[in-house]
Order: sequence, then structure tokens, then C-alpha cells
Amino acid sequence: MAEAKEEPRIGVFICHCGTNIAGSLSIEEVMEYAKTLPGVIVADEYQYMCSTPGQKKIVEAIAEHNLNGIVVAACSPRLHEPTFRTATQEGGLNKFRFEMANIRDQNSWVHMHDWEGATAKAKDQVRIAVAKARMLEDLIPKSVPVEHSALVLGGGVGGMQAALDLAGAGIKTYLIEKSPSIGGRMSQLDKTFPTLDCSQCILTPKMVDVGRHPNIELYTYAEVENVEGYIGNFTVTIRKKARGVLSPDEAEARGIIGGGCNGCGDCAEVCPVIKPNPFEFGMAPRKAIYIYHPQVMPLQFTVDFDSCVKCGLCVEACGEEKKAIDLDMVDTFEEVKVGTCILAIGYDLIPIEEKTEWGYKRYDNVITGLEFERLICASGPTGGKLIRPSDGQIPKKVGFVLCAGSRDNTGGVAKPYCSRFCCMYSLKHAHQIMEKIPGAVPYIFYMDIRSFGKMYEEFYYRIQNEGAKFIRGRVANILEDPSTKNLTVFTEDTLLGRPLSLEMDMVVLAAAIQPKPEAERIRQMFGVSKSQDGWLLEAHPKLNPCGTTTAGIYLAGVCQGPKDIPDTVAQAEGAASAASIPIHTGEVQLEPYFAICMDDLCAGCGMCVPQCPYGALALVEKNGRQVMEVTEAKCKGCGTCGGFCPGGAIKMQHFTSPQICAQIDAFLLEGGEQ
Amino acid sequence: MATEKNYGNPELENKLRDRYFYTTDSNPEFLADVKKISRTIAHMCYQCGTCTGSCPSAPRSSYRIRLFMRRGVLGLEQEALNDPDLWLCTTCYSCTDRCPRDIAPTDVIMAMRNLAFKYDIVPRNFLKTVQLIYTTGHGVPNNDVNRAAREKLGLTADPPTTHSYPEFMPGIQKIMDHYKMKENADRILAEEGQ
Ligand SMILES: Cc1cc2nc3c(=O)[nH]c(=O)nc-3n(C[C@H](O)[C@H](O)[C@H](O)COP(=O)(O)OP(=O)(O)OC[C@H]3O[C@@H](n4cnc5c(N)ncnc54)[C@H](O)[C@@H]3O)c2cc1C
Ligand code: SF4
Ligand code: SF4
Ligand code: SF4
Ligand code: SF4
Repeated sequence: MAEAKEEPRIGVFICHCGTNIAGSLSIEEVMEYAKTLPGVIVADEYQYMCSTPGQKKIVEAIAEHNLNGIVVAACSPRLHEPTFRTATQEGGLNKFRFEMANIRDQNSWVHMHDWEGATAKAKDQVRIAVAKARMLEDLIPKSVPVEHSALVLGGGVGGMQAALDLAGAGIKTYLIEKSPSIGGRMSQLDKTFPTLDCSQCILTPKMVDVGRHPNIELYTYAEVENVEGYIGNFTVTIRKKARGVLSPDEAEARGIIGGGCNGCGDCAEVCPVIKPNPFEFGMAPRKAIYIYHPQVMPLQFTVDFDSCVKCGLCVEACGEEKKAIDLDMVDTFEEVKVGTCILAIGYDLIPIEEKTEWGYKRYDNVITGLEFERLICASGPTGGKLIRPSDGQIPKKVGFVLCAGSRDNTGGVAKPYCSRFCCMYSLKHAHQIMEKIPGAVPYIFYMDIRSFGKMYEEFYYRIQNEGAKFIRGRVANILEDPSTKNLTVFTEDTLLGRPLSLEMDMVVLAAAIQPKPEAERIRQMFGVSKSQDGWLLEAHPKLNPCGTTTAGIYLAGVCQGPKDIPDTVAQAEGAASAASIPIHTGEVQLEPYFAICMDDLCAGCGMCVPQCPYGALALVEKNGRQVMEVTEAKCKGCGTCGGFCPGGAIKMQHFTSPQICAQIDAFLLEGGEQ
Repeated sequence: MATEKNYGNPELENKLRDRYFYTTDSNPEFLADVKKISRTIAHMCYQCGTCTGSCPSAPRSSYRIRLFMRRGVLGLEQEALNDPDLWLCTTCYSCTDRCPRDIAPTDVIMAMRNLAFKYDIVPRNFLKTVQLIYTTGHGVPNNDVNRAAREKLGLTADPPTTHSYPEFMPGIQKIMDHYKMKENADRILAEEGQ
């Protein structure tokens, strides 16, 4: 700890950030001003403080002037606080002897055209930072051990890849999938652009790998009920939903040797309940005991207890040997401990029917891209024959409506962002109808074709060459001829400058995508922020695209923002790598920002205990009286308790009341001593 | 529409030869004025064509609302204000309902009409409408055919507007006088008559 009444010896460094800062305010004036501040021994400036020579200035100044506090006026702590803390440490100081003044994001960028004003504000900012730096103390980060295991939530292609990578790196991985099978959206796709490999063909081997990897514990038909803890030590409660069917392992655990579901399907054959199959968007039936599709992983049936009438016919059909069905099964809970977590919960289509001008759900022959995938897929409800839902006829003129709700600022159901894969899958769909239906003509109504990936533009070229018609104009509305069920699409050919109305046999909407509704609950549970559009928010869009602002939680796939399969897999590999670093290191340092109770000031009133949003506080007995105690690892340093305690008994480290008061005084009293 | 291109006409030949867009033709103040009057984000148009695709006027005329949006963005003031198509919008607001950029193209057209009026560029029929509103309170005043039809439907012969309450006419005239609408309409029509 700092010795009592150590004389402050502060060094101030002003960064030009090229012209980012220096172009909007006077570095020279701010530096000269800093020299006049109490406690400041040296003030300097440099083009790029974050560069090696910039950091060297700090290290050398500490040695030369025997400094005990460093202030850098530059960009945001989010970007470079770690950089300058390291430099401070290299100079021989405790790394928490560092304070940053954000004179770029919060000053030069916003007051770009106000030289005088920005210079004055920078002086204020430096003065305030110096006031705090004078009172900084040595802090020792807490080191905690990390569980040698990880959790992946969501078993789409993103989650599967992340789980395989973690498991391959020797980490025990729990993969939690809410639906009865892993695979996610990709298992609903027919072929994948731009190579046109069959989606299931490239996915199924991966699904099998996941299923049999010794380091992966797969929980399908399961959800996360609760998460507690912090990086290195998360305790996750998993709800295993009542499936009504036992796996061979579960059967064995119940003493049924050689039993459990083997996927024979005898049960479904006798089940009398018929329901629409959601995997096929209701275009095919399924029984109350079902598998989604032939390639499910694990190959294990599931009872839909919402529609099951408990007639018991399936139990009989399954037989005495397997004894796989238990219609009285209830949800069970299991706790696992993991060091890090990856969220990969994917996406949904927007409810495109709410854009009424396109007639989805009102007109039979208007379908979505995902429905098209099922209709064109050999294992789909029509055996791969693309037919019009209204009359089963083969469509010859098919319209593809791009940006159906994407890049649309009108609010409600529409989304301002680009959904990033609809252009490409619509090109793919256009190809598929030309391939399968002789004489069929696809009409692609587009605003821009965004074929930005590797080999994507070439794919666009190929589809155009195959004869697809491209019409540059956003579809204004669609009307149905009630007798023929044909659809007239209205738009402008903006390149011709003429309005068009074209009659189509069928229309496919490239509906925008949006976060899953449960993303909100998941992100709150895991303490992850969201972007304006509701996608889970990465820690930094460029420098930390897989991490989040909560240590130990990482993101993979579309839940972080629209992306196609290659990008999803790439990000998943990044997330797995990031999530394995703390696990392999074996320990992590927690920022020492936790609250401390000063026992002799604590009256033991306990009023702070319910204030803490993280349940980190408790009253304990010490030396014969009640005092509050902080569970350091649970405390997030939010300061709620510290601001609240009527006796001022709670000290918020690195944000102590004297430090904050000094900053306020420095601002209001223009540097007058407090 | 022209059925034959008259290549003998030097003026037309000149125009056909030179179809460049010159930045000198662009008046940035035009976009600012349009935005000020229309109170819509006219500069955010990304030329998707939804407006034209929605427009009931477009398939029946050469009017293209998207083209006017573009002229607005590029500041092509003279081209926009002198194009007689400017007056073909029915103000049905279909384009405004559907524009994915949440722009009100209808109000852009209205703003351009306002600006055109400042240059005296207004079709005769609009000026006649001004005169009619000034004298009757109606763009399309009631007539005997209508009166008979209304009575047949069990309505009063005249609607409950200025036709029934002529005492409100002075108020309407005062408003129009304030904007010198009638005065200007009279003047332009008179000048045109010469
Ligand atoms: C019509 C269409 C065609 C496409 N075609 C192509 C193509 O040809 N090529 C291409 O590269 N991309 C294509 N895509 C994009 C592709 O679907 C995505 O890139 C990919 O599926 C993203 O994978 P993911 O793992 O991020 O999400 P998902 O596939 O959505 O997987 C998420 C998984 O998480 C599970 N989950 C969700 N919430 C929870 C929860 N709370 N608890 C547990 N589990 C949960 C879900 O059940 C799901 O299994 C297409 C998309 C569409 C709509
Ligand atoms: S991918 Fe293409 S169709 Fe989809 S939103 Fe983006 S630009 Fe529009
Ligand atoms: S600082 Fe916040 S998280 Fe820490 S104990 Fe106080 S209230 Fe709880
Ligand atoms: S609909 Fe809106 S964005 Fe599209 S062209 Fe018209 S004005 Fe521009
Ligand atoms: S408001 Fe005018 S421009 Fe817009 S759709 Fe109607 S007629 Fe066309």
C-alpha cells in the first residue's frame, strides 16, 4: 500500500493521435498548463503515445523524475488503458498508478471546429485526471483459478464449431442446444453458396463428430436456467427438458441394460396425434413423438408433451426390451462448473407478414427464403419438387424480393441493417430453379447485390450468365389474382426509369433476420450488452470481435450480427481460441475494483445488503459484532453499495470518495486545494 | 411524345450531343430549401424506386417521383422546377407510406411546387384553382349536377363548407392575401394571356 502522505509526483503525457487530437486543440497549451498543476513534476507530448517510443517516454520519465502517478491524455481507456498500465508497470510503478483523460473521443472528435473551446476543455480534463492521480493507491489484482471446462450455448454450425475446437484443445465442453437436435438453421438449408455443396452433406459429419467427441458433453433439448459466478468460475444450471424418451445411456442408468431409443421409429408409426412439423415450417406433418428430420443428432425421439394424449400406444410399440419411453418424465436440473462460456444462439426471420404490402400469409404463393429451402430440398416435404402452395403446380416465373425488411428504417418489424446473406442465397435460389425447372425464369428484384465474399462475385456472374433476370428496384407491393393465385409484383426498374408490374407464379421474400426473442433473457443472464438492433454486443467491433464486456463470455455466429456460414465458422474458431486462453493459462486476474468494508465504520445496519444487484454482500459476525462482508469475486465494482452506505463504511477501490471529490473540486474550483 | 426525331433542329441536336451532368448546374441551396419546407430527410434517398413503384401516377405518365428525389439530392433546381411532371403527383401519399428510408417524397414534391411558385412556374390549371378557392372556398366548386345528385342522396344541396357558410370566405381570402397567392396567380395568368 502507499505510504501515508506520500508526496504526489505526477507525469502528464499528451497524445496528438496524429491530427485526431492535435488537429482540433493546442497540445502545446495543454502541456504548458499541465506543468502548472499541483503535483505535476513533468509534462510531455508525443505524436502517438501508444507507440513504442510513446510508451518509452513514460518508462523513462518514471525513472528520471521518480514519479508515482501517470496521466495520459489521449483516446479512450477502452482502447488503450491496458497499454499505458503496462508502460506504468514497466517503469516500476504499480499499474493502478495510472489515470487517463479522454481528450479524443470526448473532446477533439466532438468539438472538431472549436479550437479555443476544445483546448480549454482538454485543460479541464487534464486537471481533473491529475487531481485523481495525486490520490491513486497501489492495488493488487486478485488471481483466481480457472475451471478446465467451457460452456457453449446453441448447437448451430457456430456453436458446433466452437465446441469442436474447444474439445480439440483438450477442454471439457458442455454444448447446450434447446431443440432436440444440433445443426441449427444450416440443417434446414438445401445447398450452400457459393460452392453449392449440399448443406446436410457438409454438416452431418460435423454433427456426428460433436456427438462422439470424448470431450464434448452434449445436452440437446436443454436450456440454461441460471448462471452464477465470474470468469474462471461460472456455475451454470442446465434444465434438461422432459423428452419422454431415454437415450441408451439414460436407460442404462435406470438399469435397463441394452435399452433406450435406437431411432427405429416404431413409436411414431403408431402415434395417433398429427401436428405440423415446425422444422418444415408446417409444410409436413409430424407425430406427437417425433424426430425433426432424418439426420438428427442424437438420433433419439422426443415427445411433444403439449400435444401428446398419453394413450401409451408408443410405449407398447417400443417394447419391453428397449423400454425407451417414459411418459411421466419431468424436467430435471443439473449444475456444471465452467471457466468460460460461448454464446451461439443464432437468429430468426422477422415476422414478414407485418409488412402487409408483400402479402405473406395472405397470398398462398408468397413464401420466405427458408420455406424455399425446404421446398427445393430432396429431404423436404415435397421431395425436392418446387411447387406452388396454392395448387401444386410447378412455377415458371419466380420473383425474388431482396431487402424484404432489411435496410429499411421505417421501424416496427423492419430493420435498418443489411441481413448480409439474402443476396447470396437468392442468387442460389435463382440457380436452383433454373437447374431444376426447364424454362423457369427467376426475376431478382434488388437494390444492390452485395456479393462481397470470396468467390461470391463470381457466383453472381455465373447466375446472371445462366439467365436470371435482374431488376434494380425495391418491390413496392404485391397483389394476388384471386382466381389464378398468380402474383403481380410492382416496382420501378430504376435503371430504365420506368414503373413495372410483372406477373409471377410465385414470390420468395428474402426476409430480414433478427435476434431470437430469448436473446434478451440470455444476455441478461450472462451479463452481455446488446447493440442498438438487439444483437449481442462484442467487446470491440475491430479489436475484440469475439469477446464481450463481461470477462469470460464470448460470442459466435449470427447472434452477434448477421453473417453467413463461412463467417460464422471463422468467428466460432476465434471465440473458441479466445475462450481457451484463460482456461489454458489456468488463472485469471480480476481487476481489484471490488468494494471493501471498513469494519470499524460499519454499523452493521445491513441496509447495503439488498442494494447489491449481484448479491455480493452479507452481514457476518466479526469480533463479537455484526459487520458487512464483500464476496470479492462476486462484486462487479458498480458502486451501488458505496454510494449508499449511510456511514461511509464502504470503500470503492480505485474510485474512492476522496478521489471522486478531488475530481469534482478540481473541476469546480479550477484546481484550488480541497 | 415525339414520334420522330427532328435532327434538323440545332437546339435539340446540341442537347442530344451533350447529356453530361455539370456540377455547375447544381444549386446546393435547393436541397436545403426543399428540406426546410418539406421537413423531411430528402438527402437520405438511396434511389430504391419504391416510391415510383407505388405511385398511381407513374404508370400513366412520365412522372417519376424518384427522379425528383435525385434532382433534389443533386441540387438540380432548374431541371426539377421546370419539369411539368412536377405537377402530376396526386398527393396520395402511397410513396410516403412505403419509403424504406422513412422519407416523405410527397412532401418533397410539395416543397418543390412551393419553390416553383416563387419562380412563377405553375401550370394554368393550378392558378385557376387558386382563383376558384379565392372566390368560392373550393378548388372544385359545387355545380347543378352535383346539387341534384346530393339531393337525390338525401343530402343538402350544398355541403357544409363555405358553400353553406359564405361568411367564412373573407377569412380564407385573408390567408391567401397574406401569401399573395391570388395576386400572383392573377398576374401570371394575365402575363401569359399577352
Ligand atoms: C434462407 C436462408 C438460406 C441460407 N443459405 C446460406 C448458404 O447457402 N450459405 C451460407 O453460408 N449461409 C446461408 N444462410 C445463413 C446461415 O443460415 C447462417 O449463417 C448460419 O446458420 C448461422 O449459424 P449460427 O450457428 O450462428 O445460428 P443458428 O443456425 O441459428 O443456430 C443457433 C442454434 O442455437 C439454438 N438456440 C437458440 N437459442 C437457444 C437457447 N436459448 N438455448 C439453447 N440453444 C439455443 C438454436 O436452436 C440453434 O440450433 C442462409 C440463411 C437463410 C435464412
Ligand atoms: S444481403 Fe442483400 S438482400 Fe439482404 S439485406 Fe443485404 S443487400 Fe438486402
Ligand atoms: S460495488 Fe456493486 S457489486 Fe460490489 S458489493 Fe457493492 S453493490 Fe455489490
Ligand atoms: S422510396 Fe424513398 S428511398 Fe426509395 S427512391 Fe423513393 S424517396 Fe428514395
Ligand atoms: S404521393 Fe404523389 S408521388 Fe407519391 S405515390 Fe402518390 S402520386 Fe405518386
